[in-house]
Amino acid sequence: MPSASPTTTLRAVDFDRLIEQHYGSMKRMARTFVGSDAVAEEVVQDTWLAIVAGIDRFEGRSSLQTWMFSILTNKAKTRGARERRSTPLSCLGGREPDEPAIDADRFQSDDDAWPGHWATPPRPWQKPERRLLSLEARGHLKAALDALPERQRLVVTLRDVEGFGADEVCELLDLSPENQRVLLHRGRTRLRATLEAYVEGV
Amino acid sequence: MDEITCRDLVELVTPYLEDALDEPTLDLLEEHLVMCDWCVDYLEQIRATIGALSTMPAEPVPARLREALAGVLREAG
Repeated sequence: MPSASPTTTLRAVDFDRLIEQHYGSMKRMARTFVGSDAVAEEVVQDTWLAIVAGIDRFEGRSSLQTWMFSILTNKAKTRGARERRSTPLSCLGGREPDEPAIDADRFQSDDDAWPGHWATPPRPWQKPERRLLSLEARGHLKAALDALPERQRLVVTLRDVEGFGADEVCELLDLSPENQRVLLHRGRTRLRATLEAYVEGV
Repeated sequence: MDEITCRDLVELVTPYLEDALDEPTLDLLEEHLVMCDWCVDYLEQIRATIGALSTMPAEPVPARLREALAGVLREAG
């Protein structure tokens, strides 16, 4: 069977939509590997040029999204290594220190009536969906995501913003399943806390 | 382990949402949720956070990038 000509394949992909959908996450990811926003934008641009150039050879063994993001990760790592970033890339796979994701003082201590139960319980968020979809709330969430420690930021972006599965994220970032889950857990816990502060008007 | 506390539950939400808890722990966690409205709220808030992340508004694409790609796509087409 003759393979599809490059023009046919290129026309079959709506690049405009694809770029819009993934640009934010790609830039956020690139930014954790390189030293500036400007360089991150260059990395993302190089990635898209490589995607367009390589799309006719894409065989579909992984998802298109995984393929795109692995090109991005490779380019970002290479560029970051060239810049000789202060955070060695080998640190990305290091084991997370043991610590609770949420402040211990939110819970009752062993001296209290119900050790381990909420001391300061969460208050219900009134109509959470509507409030969280407000422009202001989403602005807070985005700022909080950008402020997360790098590895948590990467995992939450890939899992929750982009919708990758756990296995794919482990492969893209070269993480153990355990580390991936710990990072996801910590990131989500912090982001919930940010939204809690916003919702309660703190 | 014959009971989990609120503090335990908070640390278990992520594997819970991934269906990665072993059955005894899952049973204890669900028992706790039956009895603890606060933890039910907490879990819902984690879900709402994930939901908000999944609908994060798109970041504007720089014109430079669009132009670079338009050029390449024109050449190929």
